[in-house]
Amino acid sequence: MKKILFSLAMVLALGTVALAQTVTVAAGAVGQELELIKAAAQRYMDANPGVTVNVLETPDLATDRLGLYLQFFEAQSSEIDVYQIDVIWPGDLAEHLVDLYQFPGFAEAAQEHFPAIVENNTVDGQLLAIPWFTDAGLLYYRTDLLEKYGFDGPPATWDELEDMAMTIQEGERATNPDFWGYVWQGNSYEGLTCDGIEWVASNNGGSIISPDGVITINNPNAIEIIDQAASWVGTISPGGVTGFGEEDARNLWQSGNSAFMRNWPYAFSLGNSEGSAVAGLFDVAPLPAGKGSPAACLGGWQLAVSKYSENPDVAADVALFLASYDEQKIRAIQGSLNPTIMALYEDPDVLEAAPFFGSLYDVFTGAQPRPSTVTAPNYAQVSRAFFTAVHDVLTGQQDAETAMALLELDLEAITGFPTGAP
Amino acid sequence: MNKKTRLVLGQVFFWLLITLIFIYLMFPFYWATVSALKTEQELIQTPTSYFPKELSLQNFAAVFRNDSFLRGLLNSTIVALSVTVLSLLIGSFAGYALGKMRFRGKSPSMYLILAMTMFPQIAVLAGLYAVIRTLNLPAIPSMILSYMIFTLPFTVWVLTAFFKGLPVSLLQAAQVDGADMMQTFWQILLPLTAPALVTTGLLAFIQAWNEYLFALTFTSIEPTARTVPVAMALFSGEIARQEPVGEIMAAAIVVTIPLVVLVLIFQNRIVDGLTAGAVKG
Amino acid sequence: MAQTQRQTALTTTKPRAMSELARREERTALWLLLPSFVIILLIAIYPLGQVFYSSFTSARFASSEPTRFIGFENYRNLLSMTIRQLPPKLDEQGNPVITDGERQYETWVRILPRQPRRYSSVNEFNFFGRRYVLGATNAEFITAIWDTVVFSVVSVVLETIFGLIIALTLATKFIGRGVMRAAMLVPWAIITVVSARIWEWILAPTRLGFMNTFLSDIGIGDGNIGFFTNSSLQLPSMITMDVWKTTPFMALLLLAGLATIPKELYEAAEVDGASKIRQFFSVTLPLLAPTLAVALIFRTLDALRVFDVFQVVLGSQRYSMASFAQDMLIANRDVGLSSAASVVIFVLIFAFAIFYIRVLGVDSE
Repeated sequence: MKKILFSLAMVLALGTVALAQTVTVAAGAVGQELELIKAAAQRYMDANPGVTVNVLETPDLATDRLGLYLQFFEAQSSEIDVYQIDVIWPGDLAEHLVDLYQFPGFAEAAQEHFPAIVENNTVDGQLLAIPWFTDAGLLYYRTDLLEKYGFDGPPATWDELEDMAMTIQEGERATNPDFWGYVWQGNSYEGLTCDGIEWVASNNGGSIISPDGVITINNPNAIEIIDQAASWVGTISPGGVTGFGEEDARNLWQSGNSAFMRNWPYAFSLGNSEGSAVAGLFDVAPLPAGKGSPAACLGGWQLAVSKYSENPDVAADVALFLASYDEQKIRAIQGSLNPTIMALYEDPDVLEAAPFFGSLYDVFTGAQPRPSTVTAPNYAQVSRAFFTAVHDVLTGQQDAETAMALLELDLEAITGFPTGAP
Repeated sequence: MNKKTRLVLGQVFFWLLITLIFIYLMFPFYWATVSALKTEQELIQTPTSYFPKELSLQNFAAVFRNDSFLRGLLNSTIVALSVTVLSLLIGSFAGYALGKMRFRGKSPSMYLILAMTMFPQIAVLAGLYAVIRTLNLPAIPSMILSYMIFTLPFTVWVLTAFFKGLPVSLLQAAQVDGADMMQTFWQILLPLTAPALVTTGLLAFIQAWNEYLFALTFTSIEPTARTVPVAMALFSGEIARQEPVGEIMAAAIVVTIPLVVLVLIFQNRIVDGLTAGAVKG
Repeated sequence: MAQTQRQTALTTTKPRAMSELARREERTALWLLLPSFVIILLIAIYPLGQVFYSSFTSARFASSEPTRFIGFENYRNLLSMTIRQLPPKLDEQGNPVITDGERQYETWVRILPRQPRRYSSVNEFNFFGRRYVLGATNAEFITAIWDTVVFSVVSVVLETIFGLIIALTLATKFIGRGVMRAAMLVPWAIITVVSARIWEWILAPTRLGFMNTFLSDIGIGDGNIGFFTNSSLQLPSMITMDVWKTTPFMALLLLAGLATIPKELYEAAEVDGASKIRQFFSVTLPLLAPTLAVALIFRTLDALRVFDVFQVVLGSQRYSMASFAQDMLIANRDVGLSSAASVVIFVLIFAFAIFYIRVLGVDSE
């Protein structure tokens, strides 16, 4: 009797496994974003009754999230099938992810997304992650203040930014002693690598390490612009900017205490939210340039399928669905999450919901990737060496010439790459 | 006169000291409360305001709307309470042996128990995760078990110190009355050290209550088992990168108040202990 | 005094009878310790052993790369140090370069060895008119050790003083004692990750933060003091946060210790005409020693392992030993190096524990 019951239970158990396939997606924990992905998962389940899609929220703090993912990979856990990964992770996590090109639909899909991101997500010809939403550094500026002080438009160069910030700051200080010209991210963290690579690239100083594996950071253009950025600290930017992250900059900006800000697109809708001191009084533009053309750091998130997944084909299908045109369109309209599909930047519904998408198309397509794929699996070390060196310059512990020379030695030791001109 | 002046000065100094310490300990909590009661706009205003201009309960409302946070409160209570009870029980056994008995290998045992907790948490996490996976335990028992890695050495060492301080005469008297070792333990040792047990338990409870890293990892695939610190880490704004400072502050207050109430409840015990705990030597 | 009476309880003096009784006592003791050992065996042995083992290997986190045994290589990479003299900088004529009345020296880059391991500068110092550089293969970790030890010693000393004051105060009777006792617990009860955020908010580098607003209102500073970015303010800020957070732990533990001191001893001291201060040193402190030792051990242990506040507030700006170990593990995936760093923490904690036990004379035997 017991035996029969047992085998019955076995049959039932096996039967359910065969019938219902479960795919678990590890995604962001963020309020609205989480709602969006839960709704998307529901749409997938409605269309594919045999599949259950679970959404698992993970911490918003990138180090915590990466730490968690690594624990899963170390344990070769099959609990999670689809991972939401940062644009700088595909190279580092390559050995745990499957090549998406082996599943139907991805080869065509890859053509629709921004080539720079697809290239970033491709290691040895394998597509390890499908782009989901993108991010790029932008210059926020106060339209009312520019007008008040007689400037026609946002600054095109860093020198212009300095002049404008200084003029506005001096004028505003008369009534507001806490006013600053320009706020940005100067803390010693990944965000400074983004700000730093924007400065360097916009001054024809290369991208720290070139995509073909040459250490280029120790060059006069890079040194010049980093020294220039250091001169902002305490003049047009608060001394505390060397401890600023994204939110510190936004807090100062959104309370109306800054003329310019470098930040990601997320600050746009928050700046225009109810109660914001700058609502309707600002706009965004490409970041200024030095000797070269403007550069915006590429950010954003991708969807990847775990090698340890029990249903990689279903998982890949879920990822493809989540990153599809229709889904990205919903996310763009409801959450102002920047799509990675080029055609969406011409979609009238999207442009109506987020007008700046259209005018900044070039910024998003031309965004500057960090050298994460070429330096994998050592990108974290490379980035840390870079932002530590830049931070030392910003806080006046070293001049840029010494810092970049030392950085070059560090990068040689970390990567073993040759050095050269950008 | 001179003596009187000195007495008054001493009194003044005493109260001044208490006031200063009180301010130092309480100020950040005050600031968290003020920040939680401000509107978002006032919160980011420069210069900051010392008192909220208009009171807003929005942040608190958001906290109570958050289901995972409320569930976290329950999970945290279950986990921390179980850890505390187990650690006190096991710890007092060990403390009795280490504090009041004679046997070989006492020092090595003490150090072995202490060694459990001498690595940073991050270092043992991967190994512990492997153990938990091998044991195939659900998240809540996993947390209870793994928190012992830091609460048990603490309870063992503290209770050993307290037990050792008890006068021998008391235990000898019990022995003369014919009580065996375990009866002595239950009937003499534990009641006499009750205030110490309460304090130790309280400190261990809070340690377990505040743990984040293990909880984050063990509950990652079991969201219903998340504890408060994890729920709070997953607290975020409507949009990625946005940090809801006001809500985090509000949540911190909502979490802290039950604990303080708990202390007030246990306080009678501690007060009793203070008066009765003066052991007859 | 009670101290001298602290002999084990359940033994009689006759050798014969003792051996029988002693054996029974030993058995009981082992049974009582059994649950603790089961827990250790179950959850601690494997993770602990793995950290020790990994510290001698090239293991990488979440990687299929084969792990090799590499002996003490990780420790060499972590702890190698050297001191070299820096020659004065000479101009073309061979005269020393002097700027602003200060002699200039060659930079350390050319002086410190690069093979087989690359050294970089931890610190430069003058000694008998010569300039030296302290180089290390891992300057960040050496700095982290120094910072963490300074942090721990200063915090624990302050916590002990404050904790003792609070405990002694709360042991006396005064109005509002109950409230004070509950209030005192608040810092310890606030979740660590969040308390770091509260302090971050208080000590923000602009007048968005309370401290900068308050200080500039009373005429100190310009409202832009970078408590977490100014390198001379970083450790004091960390210490302020830690002392705030953990003084209650110290106070509560010492309060419990005070409660176990028999009142009769004070009465006897009173009869002998000992002043309050004398009573403190002759009665309170010696009898509090075992509790104090335990409190010190656990506070020092926590301080040397400090992680949350450093990671949340300083990130990669400045490391504690544990936040360094975390960065090596998560960012660099270097399990070997990270484990070696943890073993260094382990050894330091052990050294402190033995030191306290010896100095306070509370050995368990």
